[in-house]
Amino acid sequence: MKRSVLALATLASTALATSVFAAEAPAEIKIGHLYASAGRFASISMPVDYGFKLWADQKNAEGGVFVKGFNKKIPIKLVEYDDQSNTATAQTLYNQLITQDKVDVLIADSGSVLTSVAVPIARDNKMFLIDPTGTGAAFFSKDNPWIALMADPVSTIWPKPVADWVSQEGPKLGIKKVAILYATNEFTGTQANAARKFIKDSGAPIDIVFDQGVPTETTNYTVLINNIKASNPDMVLHFGYAANDIAFLRNMADAGVKFKGLFCIYPGIETELLEKNVGDKGLQYVMTYVTSAALQYKPEFGMSLPEFRDAWKKKFPDNKVEFGFNSIAGYTTGLVLEKALGEMASLDQTELRRAVFAQSGKLKTLDGTFALDELGGQIGELTPLGQFVPGEGGHLKLNALYPPDSATAKAVYPRP
Amino acid sequence: MLTYSLLAGLLFGLYFSLVGLGLNLVFGVMRIVNLAHGDFLMLGAYCAFWLYTLFGVDPVFAIPVAFVLFGLVGLPLYYLLVPRLLAARDPEMLSIILFFGLSQVIEALATIAFGTSEQSIPGGDLGRALREGWGRLTGHEIESGPVEIFGQSFPSAWIISGVASLIAVALVYLYLYRTRTGYLTRAVMSRRDEALATGIDVNRVSAIAFGIGIALAAVGGVFAPFMLGSITPAMGVDSTVVSFAVIVMGSLGNPLGTVLGGLVYGVSYMLVQSYLSSWANLLPYLLLIAILLVRPSGLLGKRVRLA
Repeated sequence: MKRSVLALATLASTALATSVFAAEAPAEIKIGHLYASAGRFASISMPVDYGFKLWADQKNAEGGVFVKGFNKKIPIKLVEYDDQSNTATAQTLYNQLITQDKVDVLIADSGSVLTSVAVPIARDNKMFLIDPTGTGAAFFSKDNPWIALMADPVSTIWPKPVADWVSQEGPKLGIKKVAILYATNEFTGTQANAARKFIKDSGAPIDIVFDQGVPTETTNYTVLINNIKASNPDMVLHFGYAANDIAFLRNMADAGVKFKGLFCIYPGIETELLEKNVGDKGLQYVMTYVTSAALQYKPEFGMSLPEFRDAWKKKFPDNKVEFGFNSIAGYTTGLVLEKALGEMASLDQTELRRAVFAQSGKLKTLDGTFALDELGGQIGELTPLGQFVPGEGGHLKLNALYPPDSATAKAVYPRP
Repeated sequence: MLTYSLLAGLLFGLYFSLVGLGLNLVFGVMRIVNLAHGDFLMLGAYCAFWLYTLFGVDPVFAIPVAFVLFGLVGLPLYYLLVPRLLAARDPEMLSIILFFGLSQVIEALATIAFGTSEQSIPGGDLGRALREGWGRLTGHEIESGPVEIFGQSFPSAWIISGVASLIAVALVYLYLYRTRTGYLTRAVMSRRDEALATGIDVNRVSAIAFGIGIALAAVGGVFAPFMLGSITPAMGVDSTVVSFAVIVMGSLGNPLGTVLGGLVYGVSYMLVQSYLSSWANLLPYLLLIAILLVRPSGLLGKRVRLA
C-alpha cells in the first residue's frame, strides 16, 4: 500500500513537472546570426553560414534540437541578416538581433573583423556570443565572460606550429632570415604578432629582415614582393585573408618570384578557393595550416568529414560557395550548440555559457577536440603546419610537417 | 626599391587612367556622377572571366567584345535614366543618389548570378593567343612571364594593360578632336544649354558619350583579374572611389587630366606601399582632400567649376 502511494505520488509529480515544462517550452529557439553575402569577407562568411544552416536544417528535419530543461525537441528558427562585410551594418544588425528580434542565441559573423563589433555589444547586453571563427586576441579577456570561440584556435596560439618550425627546424635547414608581411586587422595582425613573438622568444639565430603590415583591402602585392625579395629572406610568412593570399600568390607567379620557403594561411583553410584562383602550380611547396578539412578526426558527435562533405555537395550542388575549413567551422558551431542545449536547464544566457564551457575537453567532432581556455579562447582544435607538394596525377598533396607527433613528411626546403 | 616603385607606379597609374577615363567622360559631358562606374568595371571583369572560362577566349579579345557589349548597354540606359535626371533642379546631387542605387542593384544581381567567391584568370593567359599568333608568323615564340624594363621585372599583364590604356586615351582623343560627333561632344561639354540652342542633338551626343564611358569601364574590368588580384561582385565600390580620386586629381571633364591623375595616384600608391605600407589605402582620400584644398580645379584644371 505504502509503495503504491509512493509510486502514485512520483507519477503525479512527474506528470505535473512535465506539464509545467511543456507549458514553458518555447515554440521555437530563435538563433540570431549574421552573414556577409558580399564584400571582402563573403568568401569566408558564406561557407560558415552554409555549414551552420546545414546543421540547423538537419535538426529541424528531425523535429528540432533537444533542450534538457524542457525535455523535448524544439524547432530552430534562424533569424539571419546580411551585413555585406560592413562593420557599421553589422553593428546595427547585432543590436537588432538582441533588442528587436530578442534571439535566444547570438552567433557572430565569420572572421575577426565582423566579430569585433559583436563582442562589445554582446558583453553590454549580457548575451553570450557564440563566436564561430573570430580569433582576435582582444576578444578574450578577463572582463568579458560573454564569449566562446567555437571552431578555430585563438590567434595568439594558432601560428605556434609555424613559428616553432621556423625557430627549431629552420636553423638546421639554413633559415636565418625571415620576412613577415601581414594584413592589418585583428585576425592576421594578431597572428603576425604572435609568430614574431614566438620566433624572438625562442632565442633561435633568426633575424626578421622585413616586417610590414598592409591594409586588408590590398589587392596588388607586386611592389611588396619585390621589396621582400630585396631583403633576401630564407622564409616568408604571409598572414592575410583569402583574397590577400590569392592576390599575393598570383602576383608572385606573375612576377616570376619564388621564395625558398613561403607560408600562407588560406591555402590550407579554403583549399578549393585557392586552387581555383592560384592554380595547383602556384600552391606547390607553399606551407600552410593543416585543418580538419584535410585531417580526418574521429568524431564522437556529428558527421565525419566524408559524411559532411557528401551532405554539403548534396545540399549545395551549384558550388557557388566552396567547401573548406570554414564550412566545417559552421557545422561545428551547430554541433557545440546542440550539445550545449542538450544540457541546458533553461535558455538563460548564463546557463548557455555554462553549458558551452562544460563541453570543453569532452566534445570530439570532425574538427577535433573542442577545448576552451578560461577566457573562452579555443585551444583544442589546433592546426599543424603543412606543405603542399606535387602528388599523384598532378594533384596537390598536403603533408603535415610540424609538430613532430603530427608530421607525415619532412619539409621540402628550399623549394625546387 | 625606389626605381621599382616609380616604374610600377607609372604602369599601375596607367591602368587607373583607363579605369577613370569613362567616369570623366560621363561627368564632362553630362555633369553627372556615375557611382555605378566601378560596377560596370566589375561586369566587364566577369565578361572576360566567362568568355575565358566557357570558350577559352584570350582576355585581350574580350576587350572589343566588352567595349561593344557595354557600349550597347549604355545607350538605352542613358535614355532610361539620364534625361529625366538632367531635367531635375539639382542633377549632380540626384545622380549621386540614383547611381548609388543602381550600383547596389548591379552588385546584388551579380552576387546572385556569380556567387560571392573570388574568381580570376591565370596571369599567363592574358595575350596568350597573340603570343602564339606572333610565334606562328615569325617562328619566334614569345615566352609568357615577366617583362624587364630598365632592369626591373614586371608582370606582362601590367605592360599589356598600360599599352591598352594608352590606346584607349588616344582613341578618346581621336574621337573628341577628329570626329564630327566628337566636336559636338566637346560643344556639349563646354556649354550644354548653348549646344542645345544651336540645334545639336544633345541627347544623342550624350547617349554616345555615356555608352563610351560605360564601355571604357568594362574594358578596364577586363584587366581587373590581373591588376587587382581577383574579382568579386563587391569590387565595384573600391574601383569607383579610386576612379573618382583620379579624375578629381586630374581635373573633372578633361581626359588628359585623367591620365595625369592616374599616374600621380599610381606612383604615390606604390611609394606609400613601399615606405609606409599600412597607410596605402588611405591614399585616394588623402590625395582627394589635398587636391581639393590646394587646387580644387584639379592638376590640369584652368578654373574652379561653378556647380
